[in-house]
Amino acid sequence: MTIQNPPEIDSRKIREILWERKKEVVVSLKSCAHCALCADSCFLYRCRKNDPKYMPSHKVINSIGTIYKKKGKVTRAELEEIRDIVWKRCVLCTRCYCPLGIDIPSLISLARQICRSQGVVHDFEEGKIE
Amino acid sequence: MIKVTQKDLKEIVETVQDYAQILIVGCGGCASVCLGGGQKEVDRLCAELNLVFKAERKPGRATGYTIERQCNPVFIDELKQIIDKYDCALSMACGAGCQYMAELYPGVPMFPAVDTVAIGIDRDIGVYEERCRACGECVVGYTGGVCPVTRCAKGLFNGPCGGTSGSMCEVNPNIPCAWVEIYNRLKDQNRLDNIKKIRPTVKWQNQTQRTLIQKR
Repeated sequence: MTIQNPPEIDSRKIREILWERKKEVVVSLKSCAHCALCADSCFLYRCRKNDPKYMPSHKVINSIGTIYKKKGKVTRAELEEIRDIVWKRCVLCTRCYCPLGIDIPSLISLARQICRSQGVVHDFEEGKIE
Repeated sequence: MIKVTQKDLKEIVETVQDYAQILIVGCGGCASVCLGGGQKEVDRLCAELNLVFKAERKPGRATGYTIERQCNPVFIDELKQIIDKYDCALSMACGAGCQYMAELYPGVPMFPAVDTVAIGIDRDIGVYEERCRACGECVVGYTGGVCPVTRCAKGLFNGPCGGTSGSMCEVNPNIPCAWVEIYNRLKDQNRLDNIKKIRPTVKWQNQTQRTLIQKR
């Protein structure tokens, strides 16, 4: 039996997706005042006993924020970590609220799009969501 | 959540065989969760379709793309930059998603690649059971948490019909009679009074299109 190695991460493709919405990403990341007001609008944050890992801003900064900071040069392991953030800690209900108008769901969705482009997706056969 | 299942490949091929460029659009919501129309299923259908087209020497070429949800314009918008390159699209979302896509991109023929089966529960990974018909007047509070609209073949609200045989349904003998389950559960909970009062029959509100405005 041969074990196939997963394909290499295509940073160029990631940058391509990211650059198309660069302005939105930059403005959003720069605008976040870390006020944490978005936290209360997230039902997962509230039902996970206010675990800061579920704060919408935390999810954005540690997903699309990381990808942007690294200019798309992320490893598979890093992308898998991001996958777990954007799939397991967010259901994209689009109900989160930012007083500064940052479109959080759209940024999470972009992070998912980047993960999808590299074949790093949540496995629904794996079992239950965290 | 909504449960979907992929249509027969032959049926899908028949619907799109006259088109050259086909976009298969997956849905990252319910369709992904029930393993019916997520990215994995899109990739698989894409490979299968291209194989059929190649074997039958047809000009068609399928490409896959998965968006987060096909029932929300925020996510459907992602397709606007690429959809014009295609002659038609195959939606792997539920009927709602497919219709919304068709509405937002009226210039592109939209075909469903899946059948929407039910609003159901996950008995196990890949094993789903229908539990709700979205009738708009939930009565499970009186029926011990067993829905007579979904689980009784006749949708009866005031006890079983005369066809119950050995606690099984006469319409499908493999399905337990909903009213036997309702009776047993209420009896165990000492709540049989709940079904002694005559209730009006279901109003079948789901026979006409409904719009919901959430009021607080």
